[in-house]
Amino acid sequence: MLDYEFLLDDFFIALSGVPITLLVTLISLGVSIPVGFIFAIFRLDKSRFWNKIIGVYVSFVRGTPMIVQIFIVYSSIPVLLKSFFVLLQWDTDIYKLNPIWYAFIVFSLNSIAILSEIFRSALIAVHREQLEAAYSVGLSTFQAYREIIIPQLLVVAMPNLCNATTNLIKATSLGYAMSLQEITLRAKVAANANYNYVEAYIAIFLVYLLLCSLVEYGFKHYEKKLRFYKFGTA
Amino acid sequence: MLRIKNVHKSFGKNEVLKGIDLSIDKGDVVVILGASGSGKTTLLRCINFLEKADQGKASFGEVDLDLHQAGKKEIQSVRKKLGFVFQNYNLFHNKTALENVTLGLTVGRKMPREMAEEIGRKALNKVGLSDRYDYYPQQLSGGQQQRVGIARAVALNPDIILFDEPTSALDPELIGEVLGVMKKIAREGTTMLVVTHEMSFAQDVANRVIFMDQGVIVEEGSPREIFSNPKEERTKQFLRRILPEYTYTI
Ligand SMILES: Nc1ncnc2c1ncn2[C@@H]1O[C@H](COP(=O)(O)OP(=O)(O)O)[C@@H](O)[C@H]1O
Ligand SMILES: [Mg+2]
Repeated sequence: MLDYEFLLDDFFIALSGVPITLLVTLISLGVSIPVGFIFAIFRLDKSRFWNKIIGVYVSFVRGTPMIVQIFIVYSSIPVLLKSFFVLLQWDTDIYKLNPIWYAFIVFSLNSIAILSEIFRSALIAVHREQLEAAYSVGLSTFQAYREIIIPQLLVVAMPNLCNATTNLIKATSLGYAMSLQEITLRAKVAANANYNYVEAYIAIFLVYLLLCSLVEYGFKHYEKKLRFYKFGTA
Repeated sequence: MLRIKNVHKSFGKNEVLKGIDLSIDKGDVVVILGASGSGKTTLLRCINFLEKADQGKASFGEVDLDLHQAGKKEIQSVRKKLGFVFQNYNLFHNKTALENVTLGLTVGRKMPREMAEEIGRKALNKVGLSDRYDYYPQQLSGGQQQRVGIARAVALNPDIILFDEPTSALDPELIGEVLGVMKKIAREGTTMLVVTHEMSFAQDVANRVIFMDQGVIVEEGSPREIFSNPKEERTKQFLRRILPEYTYTI
């Protein structure tokens, strides 16, 4: 039988991991939205060099399991940082570094690749002609992007961005491999004492479900606001 | 007012413009005729730097520039002297009719909003859309959209407005309202360079007609000269095709 009392307790324990999960998600998005957007523009620009480099990066991120990316960052960054700190003669023990920093790095690097692809396809969809119309009334490229291209591109990209965000939230559960104190880790650790793993998984499931539903709702709402100028199209 | 010299443009191996010279004076209404694929759109796009010419010089009033090498600043300042009306209207989808018309003023030229809206409303009134200020492009018919497109160009008070087949994407019953607006602004003295197949427009308001074929200007002259007395065989052939009744006047 399920231990309902523990399930309830563990649900709140899992909830206590939400701020960490959200923090990692928000920081990663905060980094990857502008960088991914710039990468997308680089790729559309015919400049072949950057197009290739970013293309390889995107393929790497999409073609390897998240957990592998975590191990790569988790094992290589300390070594890199250490030699860097030695160089600067800083006296810091990087092995005491809060794992959340690794989480920021690995999930940002991952999201940059995902979002650059989302923005790239959205940029293609927002017709080049809109940019030309903006040029024809004397706008600079920057002004045209700010006034015309980005508002339209966001509408196109919104469903994919919502997907990417919920995927990211779920992916942060892999942070346990770096001892990140997020939802999954907390709920599971609490279950160790009495082997209440089934209850823990149910609690974890519920928390992610709740979180992702809220995020989805938020995106839908925001998308509706953004597409004010579209009529009669779903 | 606008002089261009020796404009060349190729797409890959396809040489689309083979040395075009053109000059337009203030108040001119110049119509460009020519079969599809003869390079008319490309010519207008090169003048407005939407396409980079391979070679060619231009002078806009006092300003001389190279159509191939002009810098960003020069390009933007030239664009502010030109209006462009697109074949497929190309309104900003996320802006209302009034915002479409004022954007080039408020953002492009940093004009205060009130002033820009005053100008914008006047321009929309002129094209007969005084009741459509707050409509989005998607809520307007093709003819209405193209009239907003014309108002958008007019509001900027450019030296010249370039029109690229402004009525050819429209249903036949909507062509009249757009041509009417174009004739009206032509009669008000607007300098216009118009690519169109609407012979009535050319005959009624153009003071010069240019016939282009395969990337060169074959013939140019007054509407009367071109329509009643074309010199070149290619012009005659084109007119026979486009004006069925033309055969009788030869
Ligand atoms: N962006 C482009 N890339 C390649 N070829 C083009 C491009 N734009 C136009 N062309 C070609 O240039 C030729 C002239 O086109 P265009 O200027 O549109 O003619 P028109 O407006 O007189 O119909 C056509 O053969 C067309 O296929
Ligand atoms: Mg054309």
